[in-house]
Amino acid sequence: MTTLPLDNTFDDPTRRAPLVLNHDDFGSVTNTICGVNERPKPPRAWYIAFAISSTFLMVLGILIGYLFWTGVGVWGNQNPAMWGFPIVNFVFWVGIGHAGTLISAILYLFRQKWRTAINRFAEAMTIFAVICAGMFPGIHVGRVWVSYWLFPIPNQMEMWPQFRSPLLWDVFAVGTYFTVSLLFWYVGMIPDLATLRDRATTKLKAISYGIFALGWRGSMRHWHRYERTYLLLAALATPLVLSVHSVVSFDFAVAQVPGWHTTIFPPYFVAGAIFSGFAMVMTLAIPARQWWGLKDFITLRHLETMNKIILVTGSMVGYAYIMEFFTAWYSGAMYESFAFVNRMFGQYAWAYWIMVTCNVIIPQLFWFKKARQSIPIMFGICLLVNVGMWFERFVIIVTSLSQDHLPANWDYFHPTWVDLTMLAGSFGLFMTLFLLFIRYLPVIAIAEVKAIMPAANPHAHDHDKEASA
Amino acid sequence: MNAAALAREDRYLGDLGPKLYVRLGGIGLGLIVVSLVLGFFAKDWDRFWRAYVVAYCFVISICLGGLFFTILQHLTRAGWSVAIRRISEGLASNLRWLWILFIPIVWIVWTDSEGGLYHWTLGAEAMREMGGAEAGLLAHKEAFLNPMFWTLRAALYFAIWFALAQFFVGNSIAQDTSGDPSITSRMQALAAPAMILYAFTQTFAAVDWLMTLEFAWYSTMFGVYFFAASCCGFGATMILLIYFLQRAGRVTESISIEHYHDMGKFLFAFGIVFWAYIAYSQYMLIWYANMPEETTWFMVRQLGSWKGLSLLLILGHFFIPFFFLLTRHTKRVKGVLAAAAAWMVAIHFIDMYWLVMPMVPIELVQSVDGDYAALVIAFQAPENAAYDLNWQLFDVTLMLGFAALMVAGTAFGLRSRSLVPEQDPRLAESLAFENY
Repeated sequence: MTTLPLDNTFDDPTRRAPLVLNHDDFGSVTNTICGVNERPKPPRAWYIAFAISSTFLMVLGILIGYLFWTGVGVWGNQNPAMWGFPIVNFVFWVGIGHAGTLISAILYLFRQKWRTAINRFAEAMTIFAVICAGMFPGIHVGRVWVSYWLFPIPNQMEMWPQFRSPLLWDVFAVGTYFTVSLLFWYVGMIPDLATLRDRATTKLKAISYGIFALGWRGSMRHWHRYERTYLLLAALATPLVLSVHSVVSFDFAVAQVPGWHTTIFPPYFVAGAIFSGFAMVMTLAIPARQWWGLKDFITLRHLETMNKIILVTGSMVGYAYIMEFFTAWYSGAMYESFAFVNRMFGQYAWAYWIMVTCNVIIPQLFWFKKARQSIPIMFGICLLVNVGMWFERFVIIVTSLSQDHLPANWDYFHPTWVDLTMLAGSFGLFMTLFLLFIRYLPVIAIAEVKAIMPAANPHAHDHDKEASA
Repeated sequence: MNAAALAREDRYLGDLGPKLYVRLGGIGLGLIVVSLVLGFFAKDWDRFWRAYVVAYCFVISICLGGLFFTILQHLTRAGWSVAIRRISEGLASNLRWLWILFIPIVWIVWTDSEGGLYHWTLGAEAMREMGGAEAGLLAHKEAFLNPMFWTLRAALYFAIWFALAQFFVGNSIAQDTSGDPSITSRMQALAAPAMILYAFTQTFAAVDWLMTLEFAWYSTMFGVYFFAASCCGFGATMILLIYFLQRAGRVTESISIEHYHDMGKFLFAFGIVFWAYIAYSQYMLIWYANMPEETTWFMVRQLGSWKGLSLLLILGHFFIPFFFLLTRHTKRVKGVLAAAAAWMVAIHFIDMYWLVMPMVPIELVQSVDGDYAALVIAFQAPENAAYDLNWQLFDVTLMLGFAALMVAGTAFGLRSRSLVPEQDPRLAESLAFENY
């Protein structure tokens, strides 16, 4: 094992860059990654982060109780903007939940080997983000005690949900996505759980990991079945990555509300979701690799590649903004043109320009290699992208609703302190789950990372002793 | 891989080249002349020029797909595709001369004062005098839809495509002799801005040439739809070209079943599933919101025999090829995949035909005042029979003529060149890769 610092950020067409640094053998990989879970105490930063996020989570819980007790009037949702923060937050969190499955499924089918370092915790992030997302429409329905009416459950009232409503399609789309993502995440984790079980030092750990490892022994037959399942789940999850946010976009695009009804919404929402999801992966990966010593796996090259994906998807979002704006003019439709001009120069112009600055202008810095490889710059950009993508949903939802077809209805939306605190609380929920995940589950797919190392290549002695990108 | 067989393989068109470009070029030009004669006897020049637009968009969508694919490989630093990239470069190289075939369309736009092909060439003023209900709308759009700006835009698209094709094809061929890996680095560096130029020129070309056929209608998705369609046309054409090249004894070793499999996946993912996703989203959103200014475009495509053609697209462009190419087995038998590709090329042509041809006078749609059942009945009246689907022989001869010219142009672009980018630094990776 060498300890020399290695630069793997070169872009040389004659050779592929190594993706794992400073580890020549499988044993040291296992030791490093399992070490995250096995160390007796997590770093101090973990305790601080956990204290903060669990506090926010508690506040969220109290506020949900307050909401249930008092009613949805505690929010700023008022005629005409009946969809305020809860739906903005819902779309925001569903969007965040897109990177994980994209990395795991689509990049797997595209044979992108670098994904192995980040897929595990990106998937975990996906699941936690979808939990945050699913909570908001659930508590937004008003009479929460009958929210099960969303599901087509036969009952004595013979009440069926409105199948023509995209809000119902959401229930199915997000539900399916959550189920498949969870399965995918769990199935991928089985060999690593078995590794933790085999290395366990206490009975409790051995039994706990052992239950979830499902008796994995790593036999040839086990691996064969595992690989087939993984490929099939990837193929099933791939259309899901596109379908979920497409269905979420239908919530808006099927309506006749100006600014909502444009046909490019489905792919535009998907691109935006991946954009924000990757920004969130970066926001979590940069501190995590620092605090847990994972820089040899999540290398600078990985970060740079993700920055490129942020640039690509950000450009797609920019393309959609331009097409929407062009078509609003080209259509000659009065209301449509008004909606878009109003976004830019109307009462919510400040939100619009935050969105454009954070989503379109600032990510252009990633055209420069310096910005793509500088940790502080990329961290700053990714935080701003998160802000921008939250504001994108705010702009779409609130500007269009506040000034609809009836000028007598027009009003200005004011969030309440409950709105703002619940948004912060949802980050508490997200971070608490994420910190628990880092503490107790394998954060990097150990078995998959090993498979992209030179030592896993049976022809390694014929070629360069390097993993291929 | 058998190194000896690889060394022996024939990587040049050789005598096949002149045969292809002379004969197919002759056939192509001949078919265009035949089409003109047929058009002359049909005496319906508006109809003829619509067929011309169909054939033109069919061919240029395939070549644009070739350009997209080539740029994409550099952008992603792809290894698997190196062995087949030269073929897509050959298709893209046609963008250097395809503007010549566009000149007649420009000529029509400048001279057609009756708005026979593009209604907007009538002009808002003339439309108002005729009592056209949409004159006000056209007046609003005239800043965009006037022959001068339209032609300048087209010239810009062609200039950009010319430059991109020249750069990516020219550099790749230059690498064959110099073997300089920095050429690859240069192409990679320019791939990202090239992709942005490609996205905007392709989108607005689709808007200008296809969407403005009905100037009142609009859809933000239209450029993406045309992109998805071009991926279908390109992916299928690529498989066919590789198949016939190998049948003719060229590049028999370096292009393996693994490349067929991956091209099959490309065709499946982009040309079939992505196309269906875009087509469905566009249709469903317009159908659901049910706003008259948007639905007319689809209503026309649900009348008379057009309905059958629309259903054929749903089945033939999605359901049948989806299930057929879902399994890996069909993607890994060369003849079977080539047959599927031939089907997809044909259905791509029908897709272009479906985009351009259906045209019901707006007066007819307005006369029924939103009553769809009444529109269906009115459409069946004998005086409206001309608006129903009526195939003309020149629809097919023009398409075949253009396609022959495209293949001839591809062969000309690849004459005396290696059919494999021999000095590409990632060729070894492409030759060795296997699908799991």
